[in-house]
Amino acid sequence: MTATAPASVIHIIDDEAAFRRSLAFLLESAGWMAVEHESAEAFLGANPLLTPDGGCLVLDIRMPRISGLELQRRLTTAGSAWPIVFITGHGDVDLAVQAMKDGAADFLQKPFKDQQILNAVERAVCLSLIRQEANRRCNQARDQLTRLSPREAEIARYLALGFSNKEIARELSISDNTVHVHRQHIMDKTDTGSAAELACLILRVDPSGLD
Amino acid sequence: MAGLAAEVRIGILAWFGEETARKQWQPLGTTLQRLLPVEKVSLRYFDMVGLEAAVAAGELDFVVTNPGHYVVLEAHHGITRIATQTLEPGQDSEHAVGSAVIVPTERHDLQILEDLRGKRIAATVPDGFSGWQVVWAELKRRGLDPELRDLMPVFSGFPMSQIFDLMERGEADAGILRVCLLEHLIRQGRLPAGRYRVLSPQGASAPCLRSTPTYPGWAFAAASHTPDALARATLVALLSLDSRDSVLRWGVPADYHPVHAMLRELQVAPYEFLREHRLEVQIRRYWPVAAVFVALLAFWFAYTLRVEAIVQRRTRELSAAMAARDALEESVQAHRQQMDHLSRLSILGQLSGTLAHELNQPLATIGNYARSLTRRLQAGKLSDAAVAQAAEEIASQSERAAGILDGIRNFARKRVRRREDCDIALLVDEAVALFLGMMTRGPEVNIVQHLPPERRSVHVDRLQIQQILLNLLKNAFDAHRLAERVGQPIDIELDTEGDRIRVAVRDRGPGLAAEIQEHLFEPFFTTKPDGMGLGLSICKGIVEAHAGQLEATNCTDGPGLRFSFTLPSASP
Repeated sequence: MTATAPASVIHIIDDEAAFRRSLAFLLESAGWMAVEHESAEAFLGANPLLTPDGGCLVLDIRMPRISGLELQRRLTTAGSAWPIVFITGHGDVDLAVQAMKDGAADFLQKPFKDQQILNAVERAVCLSLIRQEANRRCNQARDQLTRLSPREAEIARYLALGFSNKEIARELSISDNTVHVHRQHIMDKTDTGSAAELACLILRVDPSGLD
Repeated sequence: MAGLAAEVRIGILAWFGEETARKQWQPLGTTLQRLLPVEKVSLRYFDMVGLEAAVAAGELDFVVTNPGHYVVLEAHHGITRIATQTLEPGQDSEHAVGSAVIVPTERHDLQILEDLRGKRIAATVPDGFSGWQVVWAELKRRGLDPELRDLMPVFSGFPMSQIFDLMERGEADAGILRVCLLEHLIRQGRLPAGRYRVLSPQGASAPCLRSTPTYPGWAFAAASHTPDALARATLVALLSLDSRDSVLRWGVPADYHPVHAMLRELQVAPYEFLREHRLEVQIRRYWPVAAVFVALLAFWFAYTLRVEAIVQRRTRELSAAMAARDALEESVQAHRQQMDHLSRLSILGQLSGTLAHELNQPLATIGNYARSLTRRLQAGKLSDAAVAQAAEEIASQSERAAGILDGIRNFARKRVRRREDCDIALLVDEAVALFLGMMTRGPEVNIVQHLPPERRSVHVDRLQIQQILLNLLKNAFDAHRLAERVGQPIDIELDTEGDRIRVAVRDRGPGLAAEIQEHLFEPFFTTKPDGMGLGLSICKGIVEAHAGQLEATNCTDGPGLRFSFTLPSASP
């Protein structure tokens, strides 16, 4: 329980009430805070936000009306960061593979041991924390980059790609000195010390931003 | 004639007392004394009882008596007639004796014997031959039985002339005289002619009128011990007599059968035993009949035994044949049950994936609670409320698992087919519960029920019907999966159809192409990769065994297929 924080919330979405209750009981035994939802609709209706303390969804892959996979698609579309641990029944391996491709954190096939679900949940919560951090840093980077003027952003991209001041001046048909001033402003605004740091910042916002 | 006895003793029945008889019969004694080469012919006179006693004692060589009495003595003591008396000259000895029933001429109400019904009739003695028995027999032939009190005999005793006294005194309406006595008395002038009249007169051409048939005359009979030579000599002597005196008129011995017949008819001596009905008498009398009867019985018994033996042999053969047929039938039946069983197992097999999952569900739940309790205990934060909650859940989940297993076991168990009355609505509910119990997430099943409560009872094999319903539900579900419409509901409709109950299962799948529909119920026809193709053909067999028809039709009000069949209602 090293990575457990009391505020981490595990949402269990399963139409099978008895099993759902037993899972909640188990997770609570391990110190998690468990919230039960009897259907995908119920979860969407509650629309809980992922807090900085992290958390995950334990999602039954087969459910009437909105299935587990469908809920995953909708959450992805909505840009949700909730990591999902799928629970699958016998013979649902194909569905599980699809779920993993679509970014599920883990999947467990019933029957599973208590330690397996606890491990999976713990990993998912970790993942949520990592994603939270990544998100936070991405947002921060975006903040820093949005301070730049269009000209500065353009020059920052060249700098991140490893161009020298001279090369940039030649490329943009401006003087070396002007490039130097812009560079000074860029480093100040983004609070970076090198072209490499700048490149990190850009990639954090857009992984394909330097292609 | 050497060797003949010194004395010939002749016993004579004396009707009118010894004196009269002596006077009457003396000429016979004298004549025989003259004709027979013996020292002495002695005539002895007796009444009937005395005469019989003398015969029995062997005191007499010859007996002269009336026909009735002769027949008795012949039967009892073996005397043999050698001559028969002829009463009137020219009379045939066969027809010497008869009776005339006389009434006063002025009794115009009495013309024939039948007119005597309810009247009194004067007779000599009950065992008198021409004095009573001859008339009695005639009356009986004419439907008047004195023993049934159709008329009353009044007995005067001897001499016969007392008959007239009774009639004169008005103590009798009619009187019995032996034939010719009337005419004899008139001839002698002892009775005025025309004073009496004969009833049912017969024998107008004969010398005397009579009311009865005639019988042979008195018999002259030899005792059983009488030597043949003496008998022959006596016979010759008798036949050689030719006289106007009736005691001397003897002819050839007559046939006394009519006398026997008459006396037998009256059941009097010597046929009085006919009146006895004691068993031993019957046996003595009927032993030949009884012997024949016993023989027949024995034959019948033997025959029966033989027939019985044949019947038993045939029965054995027949029962062997029937046993063979039964064994065949049993094996067919066993085969059928085996098929049923296999088909049920096949449904279970097809559902086993989801079934296993379904069983895992309560087991996983129970496992979760157990592990949780251990964890909480180890962490030192096990609360009473948690224990209570876990225990409650564990108990209910284990019951759920047991319930699922029970349903499957009941369904899969080998069993004998058995029909019973059951509620079709309950039956459908159970089948749906079993079906959904075997599905992780079964479809919605709507039961549309149009049956009035009193029509819900059907007479079916409930497991077989469950089998059909499970098959059809699974087919419906498979159809939905095929069409990717898993969320669609399945409908079960219950309705009456005549005196039967119609059950229909409707899906919302793609329906059936005509060419598939043709082969739908054929064994081993399947459209499913994992199917055996037996489900529907067995369902069809079951429905037909319940005298119904399993039909599949594409729905007209939207996509889907509708299977329907009828079941027999329970008899009220």
